[in-house]
Amino acid sequence: MNNAQPQKNSPAERVQQSLKKRYRAEARFRAFGAFSVILGLAALLVLFVKIISSGIGAFQQTYIKLDLAYDESVLGISDPRDEDQLAVANFEGAIRAALLTRFPSVTARSDKRALYSMVSIAAAFELQDELRHAPDLLNKRRQYWLLADDDLDTYFKSLKAGDPYLGRVSPQQVEWITSLIEAGEVRKQFNRRFFTSGDSAEAEMAGILGALIGSLLTLAVTLVLSFPIGVGAAIYLEEYAPANKFTDFIEVNINNLAAVPSVIFGLLGLAIFLNMFGMPRSVPLVGGLVLTLMTLPTIIISSRAAIKSVPQSIRDAALGMGASKMQLILHHVLPLAMPGMLTGAIIGMAQALGETAPLLMIGMVAFIVDIPGSIDDPATVLPVQIFLWADSPERAFVERTSAAIMVLLGFLIAMNALAIWLRQHLEKRW
Amino acid sequence: MNLSPDDRAELKYKTVGEKFSETPKLKIRGLNVSYAEKQAIFDVNLDIGSNEVIAMIGPSGCGKSTFLRCINRMNDTVDSCRVEGSIQLDDMEICDDKVDVVPLRARVGMVFQKPNPFPKSIYDNVAYGPRIHGLASRRSELDGLVETSLRRAGLWDEVKDRLLQPGTSLSGGQQQRLCIARTIAVSPEVILMDEPCSSLDPIATAKIEELIAELSENFTIAIVTHSMQQAARVSRRTAYFHLGQLIEVNDTQHVFTNPDHQLTEAYITGRFG
Amino acid sequence: MDKLHLDQHISHQFNEDLEHLRTKLLEMGGLVEDQLKDAIKAVETADGGLAEKVIETEDEVDRREMALDHESISLLARRQPAASDLRLVMMVTKATRDLERMGDEANKIAKMAIALNNEGGESARGYVELRHLARNVIRLVSIALDAFARFDVESAMKVVREDKNIDTEYRSAVREMITYMMEDPRAISRVMNIMWALRALERIGDHARNIAEQVIYLVHGTDVRHTSIGDIEKKLQEKLEAH
Repeated sequence: MNNAQPQKNSPAERVQQSLKKRYRAEARFRAFGAFSVILGLAALLVLFVKIISSGIGAFQQTYIKLDLAYDESVLGISDPRDEDQLAVANFEGAIRAALLTRFPSVTARSDKRALYSMVSIAAAFELQDELRHAPDLLNKRRQYWLLADDDLDTYFKSLKAGDPYLGRVSPQQVEWITSLIEAGEVRKQFNRRFFTSGDSAEAEMAGILGALIGSLLTLAVTLVLSFPIGVGAAIYLEEYAPANKFTDFIEVNINNLAAVPSVIFGLLGLAIFLNMFGMPRSVPLVGGLVLTLMTLPTIIISSRAAIKSVPQSIRDAALGMGASKMQLILHHVLPLAMPGMLTGAIIGMAQALGETAPLLMIGMVAFIVDIPGSIDDPATVLPVQIFLWADSPERAFVERTSAAIMVLLGFLIAMNALAIWLRQHLEKRW
Repeated sequence: MNLSPDDRAELKYKTVGEKFSETPKLKIRGLNVSYAEKQAIFDVNLDIGSNEVIAMIGPSGCGKSTFLRCINRMNDTVDSCRVEGSIQLDDMEICDDKVDVVPLRARVGMVFQKPNPFPKSIYDNVAYGPRIHGLASRRSELDGLVETSLRRAGLWDEVKDRLLQPGTSLSGGQQQRLCIARTIAVSPEVILMDEPCSSLDPIATAKIEELIAELSENFTIAIVTHSMQQAARVSRRTAYFHLGQLIEVNDTQHVFTNPDHQLTEAYITGRFG
Repeated sequence: MDKLHLDQHISHQFNEDLEHLRTKLLEMGGLVEDQLKDAIKAVETADGGLAEKVIETEDEVDRREMALDHESISLLARRQPAASDLRLVMMVTKATRDLERMGDEANKIAKMAIALNNEGGESARGYVELRHLARNVIRLVSIALDAFARFDVESAMKVVREDKNIDTEYRSAVREMITYMMEDPRAISRVMNIMWALRALERIGDHARNIAEQVIYLVHGTDVRHTSIGDIEKKLQEKLEAH
């Protein structure tokens, strides 16, 4: 027999036995973690796929090719350089004439109305714009790609996808469209309008720009107000405030404020800014003020954390050199805490960007077609726009909702990327 | 001899040895320091002579660092800390709330346990003190001051070609010498060192010790150290603290061959248990 | 009682090292003491064999001296002793040297015994003085070693004081020897040998005093070498009052 053989219950033996059990437990533990991650990723993937697949269509729009003339008689004008004449010019008449020329068989009144509705009313404005820029085109005939109505757009896109949506088009219209498609006179092109115009009741005319600018203006107001105030408050609380009950009370309240539902801030804004100070409704200024209230706790908390993370050794070094409190803060604490503060601010901004509820309370939910030019113009913001479109009955708004979500997500990702970049490039090692 | 942790601070010892100096730079009288309810230093009386190196030794929590931090009022940063008594730097009273700590800290510099250069360039680290205290009006003057300070800290040859690199890129020993250069750039009269070598390897430690010997020609140096050998090597006098009380101050040679107090003896021979 | 608290270090190994050093020194002291006694006995009884044994023991003493020095050095290097520990190690190195010298002197006496033996003759002149001095010196050595064993300053002081008497006795014995030589010129070479032995005993007394002085330094940290007895007593008095 071999002497080296371990005894039945030697420690080494027992360790060996328990090892297997331990390895199994380790593997289970790891698998559980991996499973959680995969689950999260899958949910995210489903969300992205869903949004992108339903929203991607909104970046293209259907156009119809028509042979069209800027006929003096049809338009009813003589001088296209005259703004007054242009304003009253009957471009719709020109489009209708072109449609009738294309489909000469249509004679009945109701049929004509159905035919006319295939082209968006926005097409007339496009023609008007073109004539304004090129007055020489008057009385000339050429081919135009005209913006199709959203119902036709929806039908055309669903047709391409193999599942034609007939809910909003009549059999007659289908017939006309089919003939247009066969003649190659229908096509999709990039939807510039989506990025360059404001909201509209007509889905094919509705764009995101108004909400985007509204969001930017609101965020600008929020940032300008909340960052300096938040950082200032954080510095005071961290560096100057005496440690007493009152300071503790303030601290507890700031932490609580961060957890207050955002709609409460909306009510607060409504009561104070609109009712008490009589500020206008629906403007980015008030939206920014309300979001400032909401973001401040986040910024204060993250700034305080950033200030706290400045090592004591650096403070000692500066104080030991004879730096005053202000010199300590300005020369050492702020530069070292800045990446953390900026990250906190950007995360607060991202939170504000996605906020809807408080803005509803101060009237930023209004239907606003114009693109806001300043912080006191009525405006809406991206999430509210999404909310509005999601609420609209037209099928064409469904894809616009998804497209707007994509824009919003893109914005958020960009802001988070900025936060990461700032952290990496401003952070100093010590 | 066997001190249990229970015979705490109530024990009162009379400081033995040579407390006073004929050429005092700092005169500490009746110094009591307490944190909240706990007293950290009991009635310390001590002179620190001009251009002398005095080492403070004692077990952890004996109050030697607290004592050191009183001398440049670094204890002010601790809210609960209360200091009573008198510390005179030449004729200036330090322990007075009316005293502005900014000029005081320009006169009493401090080097800390962990090398703590600012996350700035080597040049800016050394130039920081002169800048905030307005010691150099022209750029060339500042350059000169930086070079002199780095030379005196024995660091110039190692960093002269990379003054604009961050101070944190240096090795631990170099960082600590940079901190010393930064301190001496404002020409203090007293330099306090709080365990300056505790995070350094023996060679870096030897360099710092060598530097302390050189600096003692121009500065009064008070050093707190956990290494008794270091105290024995660098200091002229050694002060032994025990539970917040100054037990013994004597010539270093005397303390390490034949200490007067049995607590000192027990500590330096490693007999505490 | 162990006044130096050698056993109270945080490091047990250190306690053991120091204790070992002390024990080894005492062993070496015992060896030298025996050597001395044997040498005197060899002279008295004209025992050549015993004298040879003394001479042989010398090698062992030398070996022990080297071993102790080695241990002391290693302790200095590894432990960096301070205060009383440092004084103990320094004292041991010095006392080792003194003991080794004592061994040498005992050796000389043994050689003397052999020489006396070879010369033959029956004259017992000088033996009385030699025996008397030897008894006192042996006692002195034993007290000195005892003072070290117990870190006893009182005993050490006794050695310092008695060494004075040894010196006086030595001088008077030398005068006796000179008288013998004048009385009986034939015995000159024999008496000269006795004189060498007396000289050796006087030196041994000096070494014992050295050890005693080291014990005082060890216990009180006061250097009492080259100091008059009165001054030593004064210093020790001050020391005791200071505590």
